[in-house]
Amino acid sequence: MGRTIIKQPLYTIVYLLFVLLVVFPVAYTFLLAFFNIDSLGKNLQLISIETVLLLLKSVLIAATVALFSTFSGTLLGFLLYKTKMKHSSFFKLALLIPLFISPYILAVAWKDFFFIMAGNSNIISSELGVALVLTTIYTPLAMLITGNAFSGIDSKLEESGFMIAGFHRTMSKITLPLIKPAVISSFVLIFIFSISEFSVPAILGVKVFTTEIFTQFSAFYNHSLAILQSALLLIICLLLLFAEGKYIADASFLSVGNRGNNTKTYQLNKRRLPGFLFVIIWLFISVILPFIILFFQTFNNETTNFIRAFKLLLPTFGNSITLATTGALVIVFIGFVAAYKNYLSQTQTKTGKSFDLFMLFLFATPSTIIGISLIRFYNHPALEFIYSGWTIIIIGFVAKFSFIAARLLGNAMKKIPASMDEAAQLEGISKFKRFLRIIVPLVLPSLFATFIISFIFSLGELGITIMVYPPGTEIMPIKVYTIMANAPQSLVSSMTLIVFSVTLLMIIGFYFIAKSIIKKQSYVVG
Amino acid sequence: MVKLNNISHTYGTKSVINDLSLSMEANRLTCLLGSSGCGKTTILRLIAGLDKPASGEIIIDNKTVSKKNEIVVLPQNRATGMIFQDLALWPHFTVYKNIAFGLTERKEKNVKERVIEVLTFFGLTEHANKYPHQLSGGQKQLVAIARSLVLKPKILLMDEPLANLDVKLKRKILDHISNLIREFNLTIIYVTHDHKEAFAIADKVVVLNKGKVEEEGSVEQIKESKNEYVKFFLEY
Repeated sequence: MGRTIIKQPLYTIVYLLFVLLVVFPVAYTFLLAFFNIDSLGKNLQLISIETVLLLLKSVLIAATVALFSTFSGTLLGFLLYKTKMKHSSFFKLALLIPLFISPYILAVAWKDFFFIMAGNSNIISSELGVALVLTTIYTPLAMLITGNAFSGIDSKLEESGFMIAGFHRTMSKITLPLIKPAVISSFVLIFIFSISEFSVPAILGVKVFTTEIFTQFSAFYNHSLAILQSALLLIICLLLLFAEGKYIADASFLSVGNRGNNTKTYQLNKRRLPGFLFVIIWLFISVILPFIILFFQTFNNETTNFIRAFKLLLPTFGNSITLATTGALVIVFIGFVAAYKNYLSQTQTKTGKSFDLFMLFLFATPSTIIGISLIRFYNHPALEFIYSGWTIIIIGFVAKFSFIAARLLGNAMKKIPASMDEAAQLEGISKFKRFLRIIVPLVLPSLFATFIISFIFSLGELGITIMVYPPGTEIMPIKVYTIMANAPQSLVSSMTLIVFSVTLLMIIGFYFIAKSIIKKQSYVVG
Repeated sequence: MVKLNNISHTYGTKSVINDLSLSMEANRLTCLLGSSGCGKTTILRLIAGLDKPASGEIIIDNKTVSKKNEIVVLPQNRATGMIFQDLALWPHFTVYKNIAFGLTERKEKNVKERVIEVLTFFGLTEHANKYPHQLSGGQKQLVAIARSLVLKPKILLMDEPLANLDVKLKRKILDHISNLIREFNLTIIYVTHDHKEAFAIADKVVVLNKGKVEEEGSVEQIKESKNEYVKFFLEY
């Protein structure tokens, strides 16, 4: 460590700041729940049978979501990454949209759908409804993870199978076992995300463990119990994560650029039409239908609601974009520093390992818990400058999304052979110039993609922001969420449509910029 | 003259080179021949200064450049060029830029003239504005060699540079390499697992096995070697 400080001051500063400002508040809160013996004993008595049942309900919902999302995601992954389906590149991107749209937008859309179709939203405002909405949101994640695993299978392995067995036997005995780690990881990740999800059950009015923590903290001010409940939730997430951590920690599915050039693709033949229909129907249900519903609700009778919604949201656009841009820049910077350190030290150092572990730990920590921890830690006169401004929100974004940034950039750097840098070293190019002229240009597409992803996630983040936002903060998700209780549903739908459209427009805009960058840099290694 | 005295090297706990001593004459082509994992590439990396020896010392032109766990002379100051097995052409630079990069960054004079000179020597002039992915395998190989030579190294280290080429192209580039020694007064250390390739160009062949020298000598001496391992190796 001593040598690291001297040799890599920037890395050391970033690492220490990350630990102090981001990791420590969460770890401190978590430890407090267990080591503050008096309140632990007192609070343990407060954990009633109802709390346990609520936790079980959340586990059941999360398991259902994880199961169905992984199943449908694997099917989509096979169809789009392993077969020669027409327009598969378009479908791969379009199907990812729910993953980038803030979950509460889709919850509002589905609530509207049932309101229009059945006259009320009773069906969707249930545990089944939460599971349904979350399944549409997380299926693309399963598709991404398993699709990447399908693409990574060396064609020779399957072709060797075909020499001695038919399609079905090869699939069941060779292909599926090869993607088993990806399937399990997909299940675990989606389970963690689902059990941690706050906005969807909150908007659908379904009481689950995360909403209960929020209520205890924000409505009843029972901080100790909220923290203890958070700790229970965190234990479940961490146990699952570290039981299945290797694949998730590597997160090879988080990468930009070409992959799987040497993989075998199948002809669907007579199954082509059902396969194509499945993809189209999924795209319609998860992306097109929510947009149509929100559009219909907004412009059903008149445009008054839309204009009102626009006026309400107008002051939030600038703030939201500034906050998300700042958050994304900080996240990309931290992710880059962490990834570059690992790239430089060919065998990972203890500090590098701990940095990765901390990011993984925070990634798996439910947003509500991060929010509570940050409030508890920074609500102190000496830290008022952080607590009462946007910094606390940025810290929340960093906590939640740094892992994704570090993995995206780390996987991009892994594709750069060490010889690229060594060749320049032998030519007498300084370390700084090698970094600037060789490494940065080679990871530029991934840097840009990481920025976009961090920006979009930060723009729609609600779970942490709702807990930590200082009074008077005018940003899009907060505005929609806080107005929801007292405004007519049509106004909420209009606001949601606007947020949906803004996010979608940004994704499309970024997509075209990214496409031109990647096209210009079609040489990218890997 | 390049001398390795009692060099050892490990990767983690795995010993790759074990108390190896070797000398390579100036303005000659020495081939390091051996099967995968015998330590050929490691020797090149040690000579280049990309890795430190765990023990022993490396001497170039009577000057110690590396000793136990220490790089005495930095890689960029050893007057060595290296052709990596994967060639390591920078994919975001054109052929011209790949060759000129080192000269420009070292702020040397007559960059353009020097680049054009090597481009002409290797017949690459018409490809100057192409990117590496737009070149054939053989052209990439030549660019990698040109990039090293433009900096006028005294020693050229070549790590299986022809591994993925067809026989015809191999022959052409081997001729080029033979010319290089005469034109540029080079000392070449050439790593290969293909004894035919080694015999076609080498002045001296060193047969390696498990990080040790099994046999060294001229092509004829190696062909007639009584060493069991060498005989076995040359049969395949």
